[in-house]
Amino acid sequence: MEKRRVTFRIRRFNPADGRVRYQNYEVDVVKGMTVLEVLQYIKDNIDPTLTFRAFCRSAICGSCAVKINGYPKLACKTQVVNELDVYGTDTLTLEPLDNMDVIKDLVVDWDPPLLRMNDMKPYLVPDPEVVPKTAEEESRVSPEDHKKYDRFTDCILCTTCFSTCTAVKLDKGYGGPFQLARIYRFAVDPRDAVKEERAKIGFAYDMWKCVRCQKCADACPKHVAPVDGVMKLRGMSIDVGLRNNPGARHVFAFYKSLLESGMLNEVLLPLRTKGLKGVLENLSVGLRLLLKGKAHSPIMKPIAEHDTLRRVMKAAMEVK
Amino acid sequence: MLRYDILIVGAGGAGLYSALVTSREKGVKVAVLSKVFPTRSHTGAAQGGINAALGNVAPDNPDKHAYDTVKGSDFLADQDAVELMCNTAPSIIREMEHMGLPFSRLDDGRIAQRPFGGASFPRTCYAADKTGHVMLQTLYEQCVRNGVVFLSEWFALSLVHNGERISGVTALNLRTGELTGISAKAVILATGGHARIYWKRTSTALGNTGDGSAMALRAGVPLKDMEFVQFHPTGLRRTGILVTEGARGEGGYLINNKGERFMKNYAPEKMELAPRDMVSRAIETEILEGRGFKDAEGNEFVHLDLRHLGRKRILERLPQIRELAIDFEGVDPVLEPIPVRPTAHYSMGGIDVDINCRTRIAGLYAAGECACVSVHGANRLGGNSLLEIVVFGKVAGEDALGYVTSAPEPSFDASAVKEQRERIKALLDGDGTEKLAQLRSELCDVMTYGAGIFREEGKMRETLDKVRELKERAKKLRVEDRDMRFNTNLQQTLEFLNLLTLAETIVLGAIERKESRGAHYRTDYPKRDDENFLKHSIVEMGDDGELKLSWRPVKITRFQPEERKY
Repeated sequence: MEKRRVTFRIRRFNPADGRVRYQNYEVDVVKGMTVLEVLQYIKDNIDPTLTFRAFCRSAICGSCAVKINGYPKLACKTQVVNELDVYGTDTLTLEPLDNMDVIKDLVVDWDPPLLRMNDMKPYLVPDPEVVPKTAEEESRVSPEDHKKYDRFTDCILCTTCFSTCTAVKLDKGYGGPFQLARIYRFAVDPRDAVKEERAKIGFAYDMWKCVRCQKCADACPKHVAPVDGVMKLRGMSIDVGLRNNPGARHVFAFYKSLLESGMLNEVLLPLRTKGLKGVLENLSVGLRLLLKGKAHSPIMKPIAEHDTLRRVMKAAMEVK
Repeated sequence: MLRYDILIVGAGGAGLYSALVTSREKGVKVAVLSKVFPTRSHTGAAQGGINAALGNVAPDNPDKHAYDTVKGSDFLADQDAVELMCNTAPSIIREMEHMGLPFSRLDDGRIAQRPFGGASFPRTCYAADKTGHVMLQTLYEQCVRNGVVFLSEWFALSLVHNGERISGVTALNLRTGELTGISAKAVILATGGHARIYWKRTSTALGNTGDGSAMALRAGVPLKDMEFVQFHPTGLRRTGILVTEGARGEGGYLINNKGERFMKNYAPEKMELAPRDMVSRAIETEILEGRGFKDAEGNEFVHLDLRHLGRKRILERLPQIRELAIDFEGVDPVLEPIPVRPTAHYSMGGIDVDINCRTRIAGLYAAGECACVSVHGANRLGGNSLLEIVVFGKVAGEDALGYVTSAPEPSFDASAVKEQRERIKALLDGDGTEKLAQLRSELCDVMTYGAGIFREEGKMRETLDKVRELKERAKKLRVEDRDMRFNTNLQQTLEFLNLLTLAETIVLGAIERKESRGAHYRTDYPKRDDENFLKHSIVEMGDDGELKLSWRPVKITRFQPEERKY
């Protein structure tokens, strides 16, 4: 078997002295070896004090997420040789996930994100109209309805999405990607009794703060794409009447702008989203754009074939 | 010291179902202690499904389910317990469905069912190939709804009792490194199996180390039928990671190096869907007789071929399996066969409990894979483990609720904490001439050699000697990580000692059971012997630490033993 000498540069943190340091371990890697196998190899043969979480080894328990060359991944399903080829290197850096405190070495404190989910009603509240009263019968769920939430039940709570989320980094009140995606999962389950409340919970947990950077979709090892759930939950919040807020107004401003001209009217956007406050907040940027000749006029001419666009938009609005 | 009415140790399907049932009762203080965050528990790795005679796809009834289970068990299961489980199955499936469990559905909206090994009808309810995962998530969600208290990342060390009645456990808070007593009127052990004994060739999680069973044995509680360990036929070649029986349920073929579906020589009728013990032996036989494949690393295997199912069906029904095969073997089952070999998977044996999950000690219960009721006898059928954990998790919870209403306040003996503190200190101060990874590897090798798929007197005697030697050498282990906070080095050492304790019980039972039955196959006694061995083996530990073996008759209600043919 062909072996490859690889340096694993691992971030160590010992709570006893509070020191952070990077330690290098040299390991001979064969094709097929995962990052988790390497971590175990180091613990078994080189340094028993190296601390990390791991359990199922098969990408279903969500224990072993770490940063590999800066990118959050499950150690158990990441092939070492693939990573080396992608980065064109013989050194891999392993670090704990971001957006959470480090307990020891690669182990982070995931209590805050997981406990936050618990506060957001992450469970079905059975609707007595749909769910039978006795265990003699099943509720009926069509395969089409099942499909609406199925992907979102793949979440393994590994917190990779949370660790890479831009909104989490900036806003302490933000619910978090996997948390909001789980709320959405119940909001589209025909068996659930409190669907409307779920959109309101999403709103209360600042779901409009998501900037759609797609990092969560990119990082999720189970391909859940939490951001899709967040987007759909936003739509539901508008449906239940939560319209008078910057997030919803922002959406309507886009919509209005397209209806008017087919172009995004960026000059009017702050006013329509946040009112005078928005104008004041964006004044300096606006002025600079103006001076550089990059600002357009607030009055925009409709694009060619604007009527076609309006017809497409109308049709799109009618699709549920 | 923490105090609860009911303490549940383990947060897989059995533990969480117990928690659900007990937390519905107002005024009863319940906590669940687990060495991992609850949704990491190994229940989540169960892929294929859960059996219940719903009859949604073909006419079926609980009696047929019971018969298949008893036959699958090679008639070693206790039939009253099997009947209880199979009769409860349809209603408990619906209960979980009502909690939101996202089962795959038929076109008319009812729960879908697929065929599984050893079953006479498509009886296995499923959620694609992630059934255990969604079950665990659903049960956890409902526990959150009920406000269940979780002690996550705590490791239980010992049971505390006065010989008659349980009074709690000692446990280590892994995060802080603090050792505490937890007083409880009732303790439910739901700590899972011990297939990690076969360290390098197992489908199970790194933590399936039989902690509860080993604690129980040390506390004087007997274990039952420990010689029966199930090897799942289709583990991935390198890692032993599981490829669900659902892959064969959906129509997958097993192929040898001659390109033959060799199961025709072993189970002409059921073919790939014969029970697991038979399929595992068939694969091993093919390999031993030179009809397997061999890779550059020296791994030997056969092929699991799904290609004829087509891309659409594979993506729809077995998406996670496809990804596993790609990520861990570099093989896309849409295009190539998956290299597989049997892998240690499930512990049929476990803590000796009655049909109410009670042990010999009042207030101490066990449920799920750590327990042996027994419903699986000598061989468990696919789809019956997820069922067992919820049915008996519920039974244990309900019985414990009844028990704590009249049980006296426990008198927790504080010396138990001191004893464990000294035990851990000894591990930190050991002379360190032996290494954990080395001993663990030797244990795996010798157990695979002498107590694996094929067994024989001489090899088993060698194995027993070796296990006892390892027990001696383990006294020289030392925990190198001196910091008690999140000390996984200490945890792994304690887990290994649990495995070692249980390994001896497996070999002991295997030597004494001079017959072949289910997963216990002896080349020197290849036939089942109902006259002498239609009985459960019981192992207990005396005060001197010596193991003692005895026997107990099997409970037969309606199904008389017959030859097991498929």
